Amino acid sequence: MSTSLTIPKLQMSTTEGTLAEWLVDDGAVVEEGQPIYSLETDKSVQDIESPAAGKLTQKAEAGETYDVGTEIGIITPE
Amino acid sequence: MAADSKSQALDIDHDTLREIYRQMSRIHEVDKAIQAGLSSGKFQFTYWPMTGQECIPASIAPLVTSDDHMVTIYRGIHDQVAKGVPLKGLFAEALGRVDGVNKGKGGSPHISDPNSGSMLTTAIVGAGAPIANGLALSDMMRGTDKVTIVNFGDGATSIGAVHEAMNLAGVWKLPVIFMCQNNQMGEYTHIPDYTASKDFASRAEGYGFKGVKLDGNDPVAFHNGMKGIIDEVRGGNGPIFVEALTCRLGPHAGVGDTNHLSKEDLAAAKAAAPVPSTRALLLEQGICTEEELTAIDEAARAEVAEAVEFGLSCEVTGEDEMLLDVYADPSVVPVRGQREKRAEEAPHTGETREMAMFQAIQDAQETALELDENVIFLGEDIGESGGVFRCFQGMQEKWGERIRPTPIAEQAIIGAATGSALMGMRPVAEIMFSDFMGVCLDQVTNHAAKQRYMSGGATHVPMTIRTVAGGGIGGFGAQHSQSTEAWLLHMPGLKVVYPSTPSEAKGLLLSCIFDEDPCVQYESMMLTYATKEEVPLGDYRIPLGVAKVKREGTDISLITYGWQVMHCLNAAEELAKEGISAEVIDLRTLLPLDYERVLSSVEKTGRALVVHAATEFCGLGSEIAATINEELFGKLKAPASRFGAAYAPIAYSKLIETAQIPHAGTIAQRVRELIG
Repeated sequence: MSTSLTIPKLQMSTTEGTLAEWLVDDGAVVEEGQPIYSLETDKSVQDIESPAAGKLTQKAEAGETYDVGTEIGIITPE
Repeated sequence: MAADSKSQALDIDHDTLREIYRQMSRIHEVDKAIQAGLSSGKFQFTYWPMTGQECIPASIAPLVTSDDHMVTIYRGIHDQVAKGVPLKGLFAEALGRVDGVNKGKGGSPHISDPNSGSMLTTAIVGAGAPIANGLALSDMMRGTDKVTIVNFGDGATSIGAVHEAMNLAGVWKLPVIFMCQNNQMGEYTHIPDYTASKDFASRAEGYGFKGVKLDGNDPVAFHNGMKGIIDEVRGGNGPIFVEALTCRLGPHAGVGDTNHLSKEDLAAAKAAAPVPSTRALLLEQGICTEEELTAIDEAARAEVAEAVEFGLSCEVTGEDEMLLDVYADPSVVPVRGQREKRAEEAPHTGETREMAMFQAIQDAQETALELDENVIFLGEDIGESGGVFRCFQGMQEKWGERIRPTPIAEQAIIGAATGSALMGMRPVAEIMFSDFMGVCLDQVTNHAAKQRYMSGGATHVPMTIRTVAGGGIGGFGAQHSQSTEAWLLHMPGLKVVYPSTPSEAKGLLLSCIFDEDPCVQYESMMLTYATKEEVPLGDYRIPLGVAKVKREGTDISLITYGWQVMHCLNAAEELAKEGISAEVIDLRTLLPLDYERVLSSVEKTGRALVVHAATEFCGLGSEIAATINEELFGKLKAPASRFGAAYAPIAYSKLIETAQIPHAGTIAQRVRELIG
């Protein structure tokens, strides 16, 4: 089962976040817990770890701001 | 390994330490799964991470059973996991799903799972402590050796509820452990910024019991320390306060790192955190092999993965549940347009005796004590002195510990009542004056009232509060004269009665005491001693939610309750001389509200005035008048109106007080205006 990556609500006040940077390439195989992208909110910049192991398919451009819940990628088990 | 099951170096049974680690691993996997779910956007709920505090409940777990009780706070997911709350139900609850332990109606900050002994989880800092006392009180009075552990953070030590609870637990020697998980931060505020105390454990001494400081990150020291403490409390030696030193690694809420440590200190704290350090200890001591530890971790991971999958597969709790679990009986919920007809009491044919209201109340109380051994009474001065309102004369002598005079501490009183009610007792608390409801409003409205709903019906609170409204007789001043029922009517979950005669005070009070929901009886000071009547003896009950016509009439319905019934009857007498026929309806119960009898009366008379002693603005009268106007618009001869106290605190001056609260003269005048 693939895992959807969406912009998380990390703090109570979070409504949107900027996908500052992808830390791994599109199509790369990632481990669970491996930092995969950098998320910038009004409070902080934080590396987000992969919730699952598998192949990353990026679905959103870095440098853009997205609403909480927007899908930005998919992790597909190898 | 040698056959010796104790390590040379560690003063703990190996199986116990292995079990403690197993619990830590389960907690750690739950924490990781929640954070991963939130980070990936799969979950969207508020999380208050307990990362770093896993050792505390994991080390307690082998020392307690599901018969022992626990109260914790919104951060206490680790406490829930170790106490044995099923993980599937826990995740489903956190996700707001129908198969959650509380039907998705409480969420992670309000877990109640009586099967595992996790009785109540509060999101109000410190508010669990008074309720824990009530759980412990019921265990003590029933002669068990169960203990109650109430968990809270260091930040909670500043709030009054904790102090009131500690004082009461001390004086009653309750089997409760105040577990202060000192994680070094009160939400986002450093300890030295919120208290000048040198530590928290030493506060217990001020309340006459022992405070102990333990390393909450060391499973061996903490488990061994807690063993002695739990044994002592089980033995009936009274409460103990434990300051469990730990370190919160996450933020107050959300996902990320705490803000209270430097980067270097955080890295060091993470390395020294109890989960990795206990794992390393088991390896070093040769108690577990790497394979064994991996198996423990894998089992925990699989259990959590299955729970997450289950939670996500359940349906989100739907709208059909909205009005369920507010009360045991959903028809109690006031819904516009619904006219529930409830049967009135049968006429009393048995013996009676002449009593004033205070005597009728004592008679009801004695009857309840005779009927059910779970009935107990709590309140200020209700012991030897016989009660401030003389409703407890000679009762302590006769009933012993079931009559429990309390410290002057209303939060402690209501908490003890709520907690014991959760255990199936039927506590009755006296809150001396209704204005004092303000000092315990959190316990009444956030806890007693909401608990059935928040727990999805897994628990309920069959308690009763009696309180006196002092207005109308002058001289009590602004803080002892208000009629505060509107505060409570606005908080779903409570039932409210407001009798106007001695018999009704008895009949309603007995119905409240044996009701399954929290009830509040308002008693008017003006009526407490003034009027006497023949009161039915024995188990006399008046059903809740049944109004009574006290005088029949045809021109207008005066809808009222409490001591304003008397004023309305006097006004009706005066109006009759002018040829105006007023019907007087005594609501008796304010919630459930008897719309059937109210609307039936107004259908007949075509006019209505709701009269109460409480402030008119935003009072119950406005609600009833609005409903009459909506429901009977085409049938009314004039718009329904309301008449309550002027918008000012109750004055000490007799002249002002008389003028500011409705009385016969002013009520009659309003009626003349309405009939025009």
